[in-house]
Amino acid sequence: MNNEPERPGMTLIVKTITRLTVGLILLFGIYIVLHGHITPGGGFAGGVIIALSFIHLMLAFGKELALKKVSEAQASFFESLGAILFLSIAILGFVGGYFFLNFFLKGEPFRLFSAGIIPLCNIAICLKVGAGLFAVFVALVLLKGIGEKGK
Amino acid sequence: MMIYLMCLVLFCIGLYCIVIKRNLIKIIIGIGIVHYAVNLAFILVAYRFKGRAPINAPGQVIENMVDPLPQALVLTAIVIGLAVTALIVAIAVRIYEKYGTFDITKIRRLKG
Repeated sequence: MNNEPERPGMTLIVKTITRLTVGLILLFGIYIVLHGHITPGGGFAGGVIIALSFIHLMLAFGKELALKKVSEAQASFFESLGAILFLSIAILGFVGGYFFLNFFLKGEPFRLFSAGIIPLCNIAICLKVGAGLFAVFVALVLLKGIGEKGK
Repeated sequence: MMIYLMCLVLFCIGLYCIVIKRNLIKIIIGIGIVHYAVNLAFILVAYRFKGRAPINAPGQVIENMVDPLPQALVLTAIVIGLAVTALIVAIAVRIYEKYGTFDITKIRRLKG
C-alpha cells in the first residue's frame, strides 16, 4: 500500500502519464502561440495551454517540483515582462507615425513569418497570460499553506 | 428557436445550482454554468446556417461567414470569467480556513 509515502503528489499511474504528456502539452501551446496569426488560437489560448502544462506538473508531483521549474518570483517577473513587451511594441509604432503601427516587415500572407508585429504581440500576450495564470494557481496553493501555518 | 430555449434551460440549471445548493464549491460550479450559458447564447445569436468560421484562408472567397463580433465579445467575457472564478475560489479557500466548512448554512457567526 504505502510503498513510497515520503514522495508528494499523486499515484504512480498519474505520475507516469504526466511525465509522458506534459512535454507534448507544452509543445502544443507553443505551436498555438506561433501560429496565432494564421489559424485560430493566439496568445491567450496558447498561454493558457502553456500554464496548464505547469499546473499539470504541480498537480501530479506536488508544489515543490513545479516551483523549482518556475518559482513564484519568476512567474511574477515573466508576467510583468509580457505586459512591458506588449506596451513597448505598441509604442514603437510611433517611429512610423501612430500607436500600434505595423512597422515590422510584413512577409507573404498565410505564411508563418508574416503579419509584421502580430506574432510578437502574440508572444508577449502568451508570456503575460501563461505566467499570470500559473501565478494565480501558485497563489491559491500557497494561500492554503499560510493559513495552516497560522493555526 | 429550440436551441435558444435549450440555452435558457442551461441558464436555469446553473441558477438552480446557485440558489438551492449549500456547498460553496457547487455554487461556484453553478456560476460557471450560468457563465457558459450566456456565452453560448451570444455565439448562437451570431450563427448563420451553413456559415463557416470567420477566418481568412488562402484561396477562399469571403461569403457566408458567421458574425465575428460576438465571438470577440465572448473571448473577452471568457477572460473576465476566468478572473472572477479565481477570485471566488480564493475567497472560498479563505472561508474554509476560517470556518472549517463549505456549508453556507453553518457560516453564520462573526468570527476573528
